[in-house]
Amino acid sequence: MSSKINGQVSPHSCSHLLQFRRRNGPDSFRALQDCLRVKPPGGRASIRRDPAEVPCCQACGESGSNRLYACVTCAAVSCHAPQLTSHAAAHAQSMSPGHEIAVDVDRAELFCCECRDQVYDQGFDAAFVLAQNTATTTTGSTLMQYSAEPGNLRKRRRVDYRHWSPDSRECVTMTNLSTPLYDSTNSSDVPWGLRGLNNLGNTCFMNSVLQALLHTPLLRNYFLSDRHNRYHCQQKNVANNDGKNGRLCLACDVDAMFSAVFSGDRTPYSPAKFLYSWWQHAANLASYEQQDAHEFFISMLHRIHEKEEKDQGKPHSQGSGDCCIAHRVFSGILRSDVMCMACGFTSTTYDPCIDFPLDLEPNRGGSAKSSSTKSHNSCNVEAERISLNKDCSISTLKGCLERFTRPERLGSDQKFFCQKCQVRQECLKQMSIRKLPLVSCFHIKRFEHSSIRKMSRKVDGHLQFPFSLDMAPYLSSSILRSRFGHRIFPFDGDEQDAPNDLSSEFELFAVVTHTGRLDAGHYVTYLRFSNQWYKCDDAWITQVSENIVRAAQGYMMFYVQKMLCYRASEK
Amino acid sequence: MELQDLQESVNIKMIQSGEKERLKDLLRERLAECGWEDEMRALCRGFMRNKVTNSVKLDDLINEITPKGKETVPDNVKAELLQRIRSFIAYAV
Repeated sequence: MSSKINGQVSPHSCSHLLQFRRRNGPDSFRALQDCLRVKPPGGRASIRRDPAEVPCCQACGESGSNRLYACVTCAAVSCHAPQLTSHAAAHAQSMSPGHEIAVDVDRAELFCCECRDQVYDQGFDAAFVLAQNTATTTTGSTLMQYSAEPGNLRKRRRVDYRHWSPDSRECVTMTNLSTPLYDSTNSSDVPWGLRGLNNLGNTCFMNSVLQALLHTPLLRNYFLSDRHNRYHCQQKNVANNDGKNGRLCLACDVDAMFSAVFSGDRTPYSPAKFLYSWWQHAANLASYEQQDAHEFFISMLHRIHEKEEKDQGKPHSQGSGDCCIAHRVFSGILRSDVMCMACGFTSTTYDPCIDFPLDLEPNRGGSAKSSSTKSHNSCNVEAERISLNKDCSISTLKGCLERFTRPERLGSDQKFFCQKCQVRQECLKQMSIRKLPLVSCFHIKRFEHSSIRKMSRKVDGHLQFPFSLDMAPYLSSSILRSRFGHRIFPFDGDEQDAPNDLSSEFELFAVVTHTGRLDAGHYVTYLRFSNQWYKCDDAWITQVSENIVRAAQGYMMFYVQKMLCYRASEK
Repeated sequence: MELQDLQESVNIKMIQSGEKERLKDLLRERLAECGWEDEMRALCRGFMRNKVTNSVKLDDLINEITPKGKETVPDNVKAELLQRIRSFIAYAV
């Protein structure tokens, strides 16, 4: 009886609900649709025959403290207190059979008074979501704006992983055309490819990010399997006669670096050629000054993407995941819902993203957030801070993600133009993740630039991060589901071929940390190889214990999907 | 006027003026902010996990969690709501 809808197992229907449906046919809940009342901002739903009705129990007149249920057969409202008397259950028994199913008047959820449990009905939930959408928008449909058409929404067929091993002819070709690594016996037990990077003058910001990228499984496999061959790429560029600019290819330098790092040579490597190339790409950053590691990361991925785009001659929307290796690995899609507080009109936008910027301090995140809290009660901000400190004295990555996806009331200074009201209104904004990247990079905003005070500062607080992370609660599908209550209904992000829950499970493999002050600090990367951690401090690589990593001040965290799904490529 | 009648009339006034809904929303917001909601969710999960059978009824869950939930509402949240209710009564009566 239990069936699977969009990866969600729907619970067993109780026999009373089945009987009710059988008696009343497909339109069992038609009458309820007219009683559904939705409060515009936030869209919480309730059941009232008349908008001003104050429901109270028919048996005892109770209207305050207990749950109230309306019988879906005769509309009688009864109270239900689990421990004490239940007039709802009494009603079901006295009118039996046929009066077991009732609807919670304040939640618009179904309940079986005989089984004394919540029940779920797909038809009811579908009708409910439809009615709620119509109620909030009145125009009949939620208007969607696509700032970037998410290209990955096209359905892709999943394919099975097929193991490949070379046949004898291919073996011969491989031995003839490749140079064997000089020390393939690998005497030390240091993982393959772990090599220090020399500091070329305040370049620890670059080295730390490069270490993380060099050991990103998907990038490593891409470059080591010769998918971007620098010799081939150069030949192609000469043939195309692109001129000076066309010859620059950052991916070629990355390819060269991969070859050098995985050559087996253990002496520290100097990424001088790479640095020089990057300077040519980003002229404004070409100096021996300390730079921001995150800025470098973004700039580097952007250059790789740009080149690819130029070569293919057609612009790809970022986030589609079909363009360059950088975006295939790191890009995801964010969904942002802005709901007008006056009419409930919701405008949805999808934006590609390369990483997730997270605020470290709860009260500092958005000025709007704290100001809205202030408007409620000025002393409460302080109280909230105290209670937060009491409950979780240390901030966690999960806490940051929760704040990232929590609905945020935009203050009066950030009014939003509502398309329906045709004026600027106060609104509620909520972010969620529409599509997860294969590798999620979390950027903790430790450097704060205040334009008002014309100064910058570093946020030094410690952040706990798990080695294994489930991203499911932050997905659009989960966020929407919690907005609509407990329903069985396909929401955004529930694709029919949606991979199982495993694809939201992530595993930590690199942490870029920052120590010191804003203007004079040092970046160090910690890398994980089969549960053993290594500290990469420029040229020096040392094995460290897990606790050192946990205590470090994380600036960028790199997580990779635990289970990668193979999908048929469109090419 | 009897105390019960007074309570009932205030209750009805609160519902009709929409203040009750506003209070409910405020309470929900506060409980989410202070982590109480997450705590309750964790308690529910724990309760379900400890059950051998796979069928925990909503009633069982409410019976089990309600007392703990009432105990752990932070004092400052209670104080804020009380303040709001007081000022409503002062305004309405």
